[in-house]
Amino acid sequence: MAETATLWAPRSAWAGIAQAGQIGAAGPAGVTATLLDGFGLATLIAAPGGAPALSQAVEGRLGIALPATPKIVSGVSHDAIWSGPDQWLLRAATRDGFSGLLEALSAQAAVSDQSDARAAMRLSGPRVREVLAKGVMLDLHPAAFAVGDTALTSVAYIGVHLWRLADGPDGSVFEIMVARSMVGSFWSWFAASAAEFGCQVSIDRSTGRG
Amino acid sequence: MSTQPFRLASGGLIDRGQQLDFSFDGASYRGYAGDTLASALLANGVRLVGRSFKYHRPRGILSAGPEEPNALVELRSGARREPNTRATVVELFGGLTAASQNRWPSLAFDLLSINGLVSPALVAGFYYKTFMWPASFWEKLYEPLIRRAAGLGRAAGTEDPDHYEKAFAFCDLLVIGGGPAGLSAALAAGRSGARVILCDEDFRLGGRLLAEKREIGGKPASEWLAATLAELASLPEVRIMPRTTVFGLYDHGIYGAVERVADHLPQPPAHLPRQRGWRIQAKRAILAAGALERPIVFAGNDRPGVMLAGAVRSYVNRHGVLPGRETVLFTAGDDGWRTARDIAAAGGKVAAIVDSRPADPARKALADKLGARLFAGGAVMGARGGRQLNGVTIRDASGAVSELSCDLLAVSNGWNPTLHLTSHQNGKPAWDDGLQCFVPGTVPAGLAVAGSAAGRLTLAQALEDGARLGSEAAVETGFATKLAEPVPATDPETNGLSPVWRVSGGRGKAFVDYQNDVTDKDVELAAREGFRPVEHLKRYTTLGMATDQGKTSNLSGLAIMAEQTGRTIPQTGTTTFRPPYTPVAIGALAGHHRGKDFRPIRLAPTHDWSKEQGAVFVEAGQWLRAQYYPRPGEADWLTTVNREVKAVRAGVGLCDVSTLGKIDIQGADAAEFLERVYINGWKALPIGKARYGLMLREDGFVMDDGTTSRLGETHFLMTTTTANAGKVMQHLEFCHQVLWPELDIRMVSVSEQWAQVAIAGPKARETLRGVVDAEYDLSNEAFPYLAARPVTVGGGIPARLFRISFSGELAYELAVPADYGDAMMRALMQAGAPLGITPYGTEALGVMRIEKGHVAGNELNGQTTARDLGLGRMVSSKKDFIGRLMAGRQALVEQDRPAFVGFKPVEPGQRLRAGAHFIGIGKPAAMEHDEGYMTSVAYSPHLDHWMGLGLIRGGAARIGERVRAYDPVRNGDIVVEICSPVFVDPEGARLHG
Amino acid sequence: MRITCPHCGARDAQEFSYLGAADLQRPEGMAASEAAMADYVYQRDNPAGVHRELWYHGAGCHAWLVVTRDTRSHAITAVEVAKARKAGAAA
Repeated sequence: MAETATLWAPRSAWAGIAQAGQIGAAGPAGVTATLLDGFGLATLIAAPGGAPALSQAVEGRLGIALPATPKIVSGVSHDAIWSGPDQWLLRAATRDGFSGLLEALSAQAAVSDQSDARAAMRLSGPRVREVLAKGVMLDLHPAAFAVGDTALTSVAYIGVHLWRLADGPDGSVFEIMVARSMVGSFWSWFAASAAEFGCQVSIDRSTGRG
Repeated sequence: MSTQPFRLASGGLIDRGQQLDFSFDGASYRGYAGDTLASALLANGVRLVGRSFKYHRPRGILSAGPEEPNALVELRSGARREPNTRATVVELFGGLTAASQNRWPSLAFDLLSINGLVSPALVAGFYYKTFMWPASFWEKLYEPLIRRAAGLGRAAGTEDPDHYEKAFAFCDLLVIGGGPAGLSAALAAGRSGARVILCDEDFRLGGRLLAEKREIGGKPASEWLAATLAELASLPEVRIMPRTTVFGLYDHGIYGAVERVADHLPQPPAHLPRQRGWRIQAKRAILAAGALERPIVFAGNDRPGVMLAGAVRSYVNRHGVLPGRETVLFTAGDDGWRTARDIAAAGGKVAAIVDSRPADPARKALADKLGARLFAGGAVMGARGGRQLNGVTIRDASGAVSELSCDLLAVSNGWNPTLHLTSHQNGKPAWDDGLQCFVPGTVPAGLAVAGSAAGRLTLAQALEDGARLGSEAAVETGFATKLAEPVPATDPETNGLSPVWRVSGGRGKAFVDYQNDVTDKDVELAAREGFRPVEHLKRYTTLGMATDQGKTSNLSGLAIMAEQTGRTIPQTGTTTFRPPYTPVAIGALAGHHRGKDFRPIRLAPTHDWSKEQGAVFVEAGQWLRAQYYPRPGEADWLTTVNREVKAVRAGVGLCDVSTLGKIDIQGADAAEFLERVYINGWKALPIGKARYGLMLREDGFVMDDGTTSRLGETHFLMTTTTANAGKVMQHLEFCHQVLWPELDIRMVSVSEQWAQVAIAGPKARETLRGVVDAEYDLSNEAFPYLAARPVTVGGGIPARLFRISFSGELAYELAVPADYGDAMMRALMQAGAPLGITPYGTEALGVMRIEKGHVAGNELNGQTTARDLGLGRMVSSKKDFIGRLMAGRQALVEQDRPAFVGFKPVEPGQRLRAGAHFIGIGKPAAMEHDEGYMTSVAYSPHLDHWMGLGLIRGGAARIGERVRAYDPVRNGDIVVEICSPVFVDPEGARLHG
Repeated sequence: MRITCPHCGARDAQEFSYLGAADLQRPEGMAASEAAMADYVYQRDNPAGVHRELWYHGAGCHAWLVVTRDTRSHAITAVEVAKARKAGAAA
């Protein structure tokens, strides 16, 4: 069995793409990127007229209601992220017990596990908006994109899902999620765009929530 | 090293402590920080900087700004060489190398200047007249000759080593131009808290304030400028972007701009781009781009040393350069007199002032004070000199002609508002008879025009407009402004312009468009030949069509045409300006997206494993897929592919198919939905089974195919081809949201979630047995052909197993969560090692599907119906579905419509080519004998000869017949036999093994 | 161009793809005639002026939208969710 376990080692979407360390300009990093790994993720789509029931079901289990507009609502261990009309991404800090949760929710929603489908990273630092402005076609000014706002958009011709978390010591904090197959091209764009300011890259393997 | 003989001892906005060495045409010179290349050349006495486009006339520096039509140089060298750069806007840096262009063999001695002597052959429309006959001469003789003779600079010819970026910005107010109007606007809006972006093309903010000696609030304008810039810098929501040209206005308040991040440096510093292309979304914008000065058309007006009067002031006041020892001023208004005054103040000599207006005592007194001869009511008829101006011919008010020597002729004929951006959205400029210039007419919503750009040419007006419009923009975007502070007073300013468009009677060519070498005679010729509307004038003469877009020439051309046709200027026409305002490098528009980043590339979860196996990759849609896996010693790709095919057919192989589109379809109406989008039936498909499906476009042609599996009563998993995944998703969303929103369908792409691999060959089951957890029975009975069920692998990892086959062999597709994709390949390789498992790529996949007569992208080419492809039996007649009616159109069901069959060479050794057309044997290779074409070919190692699939009239009814496969592109013309498209195992015995 | 998606807000037109006229009715069912279908598939007006047209927010929420746009000026006066048009449909 030990051999099987070794043979069947999972490989992160970030493997072979990015490593921990500083990229671009030396000195104090203008941007900090934390590569997220190990989270659970699923698409929930409500049946016609079924969004309230689904939201109640999720709230009953996880303490978070499903946002009706492009927002992220975060609970203790899970986030509900708007991803289209009557559609959400449910993110779990870990994959432990996630399939059971999805099974339970499948009575109220079309549930599709997407835990392996995305690469995600958290971005912060004094220059984070300047980096994102090189690809994100949205106004991320604090007055225009509030904490908890989310958007499906594209960066460098790559579809992304991004949202703003509570501010950190250096101001705005964003998370950005990209299709797994595109992460190489996405990283190429990101690394080139962040290089000017210097970027500290770290990897959070434990959870999707750091 | 030169001593900068034309540099003033003091004054100007240059740093004499910071010397910058540079070279022009191989000679070394020195300038100062704050110089442009043009000002540094002038300081060094370099007057001749280029040769003209058509006549190879010696040319110098006309302007001090972006409108420059003459001083175009090649900048830098090697891979960074950049042609057609305007020396007047190039910021000098140490080590800059520049070269003149369009001269041969040298700038001073240009053999092609003989073009000037044969110029009657090169007048307007000469292309159309001269080179008409014989037609064959055009390509071989005329065009190459013209290209050599008439040209601009040379592109680098190698890859640009620098990086470029795109960036997106959002603001309440975009201010275009950092002169007095723009700065006032930015300040007024910025003080309210509005988000303001101010862009200026110059490396130094201030606009004309840098070039003029003016007063604001009773103090030198420089003090106002410094205080304003300091306050703007203190406002957190104001962003000042120097070296940034706003080049275009697009729909809905989108502005294009290019920021020259590192053009002023020998090469970009580490991690910085050379340029950045900005897309700025502005709620409001103020165009404060100033005005461009207008030349006068007279003989020899292109001699190096003839310069716009305002440009002369720029060089004197901003750069501390006196561009001539002995100046003549030719002016049509008061503005030119500032040049005489500033030259005199700087210690220069003004020999004469030629003022086109009638005599005036005050002007006489001023001329006397300046020590200049005054020709009131006079005109400069001609300028003479070869490589440098050495004198002018002046006609005085009485008509008497005299000659005067000089080395600088400053020309002042009023200013044209820089209103270009107002016309980018179809806005039409309006003629202002009082100002004698075009001013903004219809202005796009959200844009306001301030100061000179609006035809409000005085400094006082600029300050007033800026403050007012800046406040208004702030209020309109939701910010409260304080009561406008009083606009500071300026020193008095008069205009008194009476423009002179052309002075006739001189000897030699008089240029209207310097860059394209269009003369007044060309405009007259166009008028005579009937090319009178301005758009005809432009195209016939090429006036205004050079890279300067006629900034200095459009109005003169219109004025001369007006004079020729007895109309006014507004009756003659206007010019509509298009983006970009000044040339923009393609790199700045492409940004990051070139080379490997030209577009996003998608990689399968098994990609690194394939790379490790030595795969050669091929682009398939957005994906890179393993094409084949060469082994040491294999001579060519065909050897490799043959080995892979044989290994699969004899044992077992594995091939990544993660790239196929996978769509999770759930909902009470999922089966009904599939009925409507596929041609075949779905309601009866049992849970745990897969079925091949074909979908049409509404016009009846095939859109895509793939297998769809029923995972539950209301749960299906659709697969699409790799290339069409996005298109199919969009189509299904259309069908659901637009056509049948009443259906309960819930769809999402799960393509990224699953790593999927095909395991094919007689030993596929045995291989899988070592990977799929033991509790799952994989026997033929328990897991038959087209079974599709969840399993687990590796001790409980959830997976899906499908028994489907593209190769015709016993085959499965195994899908695991993408994190386990890499492990799946390793586990299968380990389990299959004793069985000789072989990775195969898309090439072998293609060979095997052709051997089996399966259609793929080459056949699903948007021009084929299900019937054409031999899949007519799949079409359900019991239900409506997308494309049903149109597929039944007469033309699509004609008996002689080309239909799908196989082909094999009659001579077994002959190679087939996809794209070859079928023609009856003995018939000529002409369109009317075309019977169809070959869609796919491959070499079959199984049959040991080439085989092909294709579409031919009559299709399967003609099996056994022979036709020509005619391929003129590759000189192919062979005889092939029409055969069944299934070359291997027609009974399908292997599939069910 | 900018299109204001009712779900996502104002977005660059690059996020959308264009299909064409929005108000065509697909002839549904086995009884539909070939002629009606041919009209549906091929017959299009090409108005210089106000045009109701379908756009797909492919880079965003995947919604099909009905955009009312003046083809001469690109001025957009309304954007609706296509799915919400049919009576009885869940928006």
